[in-house]
Amino acid sequence: MPKNQKLALVVDDSKMQCKLLSVLLQEENYQVVVANDGASGVEMYIKHQPDLVLMDINMPIMDGFEATRRIKKLSGIGNLAPLIFITSMDNEQAFIDSVEAGGDSILVRPFSPKVFKAKIKAIQRISDLVEQVKGLQQEQQNDAELAEKMMSDVIEARNFALDKIGVIKKAATIFSGDIHLSAQRPNGDIHILLGDFTGHGLRSSIGAIPVTETFRAMTKKGFSILDIVAQLNRQMHTLLPGDLFFAASFACISEHEKSVYVFNAGLPDGYLFNEEADIKRQFSSTHPPLGILPELLSDVQLDAVQVNKGDRLVFITDGIVEARNEAGELFDFARFERAAIEGIAKKDLVNSVLASLDDFCQHCEQEDDISLVDVPCSGWQQVEFSNKVTIPEGFTEEDNYFTREQKGLPTWCYHLHLTGKLLKTVNPIPLVMSQINDLEGAGEHWQSLYTILTELFVNALDHGVLELNSSLKDSAEGFSQYFNERAKRLDKLAQGEMNASENFVRISLKYFPLSHGGKMIINIKDSGSGFDIVNVLKDNSHAMVDGVQLSGRGVELVNQLCDTLEYEEQGTLVTASYIWHG
Amino acid sequence: MTISSKLSTDGKQIVIAIDERFDFSLHQQFRDAYSSVTTKDLTYILDLRQTQYMDSSALGMILLLKDHVQLYAGQLIISKPSDTVRKILEIAQFQRLMTIE
Repeated sequence: MPKNQKLALVVDDSKMQCKLLSVLLQEENYQVVVANDGASGVEMYIKHQPDLVLMDINMPIMDGFEATRRIKKLSGIGNLAPLIFITSMDNEQAFIDSVEAGGDSILVRPFSPKVFKAKIKAIQRISDLVEQVKGLQQEQQNDAELAEKMMSDVIEARNFALDKIGVIKKAATIFSGDIHLSAQRPNGDIHILLGDFTGHGLRSSIGAIPVTETFRAMTKKGFSILDIVAQLNRQMHTLLPGDLFFAASFACISEHEKSVYVFNAGLPDGYLFNEEADIKRQFSSTHPPLGILPELLSDVQLDAVQVNKGDRLVFITDGIVEARNEAGELFDFARFERAAIEGIAKKDLVNSVLASLDDFCQHCEQEDDISLVDVPCSGWQQVEFSNKVTIPEGFTEEDNYFTREQKGLPTWCYHLHLTGKLLKTVNPIPLVMSQINDLEGAGEHWQSLYTILTELFVNALDHGVLELNSSLKDSAEGFSQYFNERAKRLDKLAQGEMNASENFVRISLKYFPLSHGGKMIINIKDSGSGFDIVNVLKDNSHAMVDGVQLSGRGVELVNQLCDTLEYEEQGTLVTASYIWHG
Repeated sequence: MTISSKLSTDGKQIVIAIDERFDFSLHQQFRDAYSSVTTKDLTYILDLRQTQYMDSSALGMILLLKDHVQLYAGQLIISKPSDTVRKILEIAQFQRLMTIE
């Protein structure tokens, strides 16, 4: 039998009628099976799964209406086999009843073979269209499933520290492109992203892979969250069509600074809760979603907040606050906050919010993806720093390990002299680290160096060039004041109000290979008038005892990581040496 | 008709008014409301006073309208959004991209 030959089922108690209809159908290239009462008609339907059913109304054992009801129940959402009633009952009621029973059409005897064939053609055309729609729907469903699988398996499974981050991820009936990412910087900071692409289905996921790659690669190289946001915005602007964009919140959690930096571009408010479940801070959207503007707005700024042990950061997408119940009401912020607060008290924010949502929405269809991330601000494992006093086995005197003066010349030197505006716009540390990776290869041992360079550069810029007083950071209010002031002075610097060319930070590196490892001499000089480093360090040693000091931690950390650390020229020149063991 | 667009009698202003729901289902209608308008220096008023619900694809559609308006050197004003809709526009910080009154 050729594959395109269709099968028709004729159900009629008159053998004569069956014969007649069969002949007509065969002329239309149908194969035909026959049943002589409603009950065996249903059986034949189950057995043969025909493409078309012709049904008489008055028959013994089971009439055509009942047989049709059963057949339509069976075919359900599966195949639509069109069903045509063939009858001599030429009255309104018969017509109405046959449609009620599930018939797709009715043909009243007597009719000519031509009319019969035309009817069959028309009904087959409709059934072909339905098939086509079903096929397309299936394809769309497959695409959506693919998109969703890609998000969860490929992208999100590779996130950092999944066990510590609470996640809610409920995809809508049609997948709508929410994404959450976490990654760790070389210095141990945690970067978090929760984002929402506009649109539904596969269309909404085209940006997911580039966003993921960029976020992970730049975090790994040590770029700051603002650098990453700027790059993602540029990328999304080039990549996404005009009506697609990416609303997202970002956070950098720095455990050693005891602070978080947050940026919200187009998502509902993010929250910072303390251990007692009070809302410490809300982070409103301050920027249009990414991908709309070619560059970020010029006044863009991170929200910097001091955090304590037990604080947690919670980001949500609009699917939560816009979830609806049967009456059409929104779940909204108040219900979310209540559920979150109860959840923190029970130490299970995720399930508390989920339960509250389920309770509210009952069985209403979910229109949008629902996503939440719940991230603790403390208790992150510190990056393992190599210990500077352990001497590895096989280490020999020839390496000149304890001698301050190097006998040989460095194998390479690197200088970077940044002035004026560039001090605001360029983060030199990833540049430097990438040079080091290119020259000496990547390795775990550069993590400590990354921290040293970052801390020393930020000190030179903040306290040297910008002349900020680090004691401002002693109190929580001062902390944000400090960051506001810092941003203001950087702007001045960029606009050339401070004498541009005279303001600089110079980073110099010299590298000396040892037989088992290497030594890096770091020099950072700034144009500032200097600061009294001794006092800072002395303050810190008091502070360590009280455990309250918020500022100056950077220098202390660097001191622990370096082999030697010396400030000269009134604190405007710092020399550090860092040794690693291969 | 869920979208109506009307050119003012002086021919300087076009008002596009949206019904209760502004979502993806209006995509084609919304585009049709302005795409054939190529007069320069027009003021486009997107009237949202009736609109109670707006989703993110509606924000995308507004951005496409903005591109169109810029192409013909016009001006785009979003007029009288309800509180719910205003909130959505604010979260997306659209007040920084266009005039909302």
